[in-house]
Amino acid sequence: MRATLARMQHRLHETPHLLRLGRLFSETVLLEVDGAEFYLTFRDGRLEGIVEGPSRKTPWRFAFRTDAEALAQFWQPIPKPGFHDIFGLVKIGRGRIDGDILALVKNLRFFKEFMALARNATRTEELA
Amino acid sequence: MSFEPIIGRYLTVTVQGRQQRIYVETAGQGTAVLCLHTAGADTRQWRHILNDACLTAGHQFFAFDMPWHGKSLPPEGFQTEEYLLTTEAYMETVLAVSRALGLDRPILAGCSMGGRIALQLASLHGHAFGGFIAIEASDFQPAWYDIDWFHRPDAHGGEMGAALVSANISPHAPDAERWNTLWMFMQSGPGVFRGDLSFYTRDDSLIVRLGRIDTAKTPVHLLVGAYDLTCTPEDAKRTAAAIPGATCTVMDELGHFPMSEHPAGFRPFFADALARMKVPADV
Repeated sequence: MRATLARMQHRLHETPHLLRLGRLFSETVLLEVDGAEFYLTFRDGRLEGIVEGPSRKTPWRFAFRTDAEALAQFWQPIPKPGFHDIFGLVKIGRGRIDGDILALVKNLRFFKEFMALARNATRTEELA
Repeated sequence: MSFEPIIGRYLTVTVQGRQQRIYVETAGQGTAVLCLHTAGADTRQWRHILNDACLTAGHQFFAFDMPWHGKSLPPEGFQTEEYLLTTEAYMETVLAVSRALGLDRPILAGCSMGGRIALQLASLHGHAFGGFIAIEASDFQPAWYDIDWFHRPDAHGGEMGAALVSANISPHAPDAERWNTLWMFMQSGPGVFRGDLSFYTRDDSLIVRLGRIDTAKTPVHLLVGAYDLTCTPEDAKRTAAAIPGATCTVMDELGHFPMSEHPAGFRPFFADALARMKVPADV
């Protein structure tokens, strides 16, 4: 997961329109996968920090919790219904969003497109 | 230069005592079909159907922008109003536009909130139409989100709305049409998507009316995309099951805005739905 996040970070920084969309987004987001915590700190749309948990001291604005198998489905080139969007994962019971949801909604396109940055990976092992 | 066959014109109707200037697009000749757009969007969602030479050879399609939407202005005095669509105003608008167009029992094809109102009209004013194609339509959908998110001074409601509804677009949709579909939401006037959602997520009056629909006189066919998170196939099937004689088709590779997000994928399902609108001659 750590390697995938690093790859997503690289892709984000190589994607001008996402940096433009996220230029006012400076928040820490908790991504939890199979209970493992990853604190993603964005500053002006750039992903400045990826810190693994667990941590009870790191404040976060909102959290997206899911499981690795669901994320792998989400990152398929053509995901199945329900796996095609982070809200779809929530709808089918494979994801959960907590915290300041309005902060997420205000930056929804940015965060959704960030989460989808691993979708172009063609080999399963690239997602490890 | 080569114009598309779609012709756009304006007409004025009176709805609940107020004048509404309505933008209408039309194309084709034959059986009249009145098309309703989704919440937060406008009649451009139907442009691929209206530009389809095969479908327009036997059908005259009309698609109009609801008041406050697209090229239909809000009513006079809107600047101090809170826009909240109601079932009654919505039904009256559809009936008024149909009358103003001089249509004789047109087929009514509506998507999302347009599908919801099509079923309301099927239950309460079925005699005014020749059949109903209810797309991504269900009896009721409560909101899992706060509709107030989409009208606030510190954020762009249209952009947030587009980002939200993108969850309902199929990954099979061509990228260009995905973004054309989302653009309409981005352009939606302030508070309009919220006002539409108020109707869609708060009025559950259709549930008890579904059983009244007489499909022997007015056929009802539901279409639902497998990627629709708002009106899921289960929602549409449940709704169809409550209407004696109604039929329902699941579109495996489509989402909540099928005619707009994936025109080629939607076309055969819509052609099939039109073919199902034949009413027995003796009814």
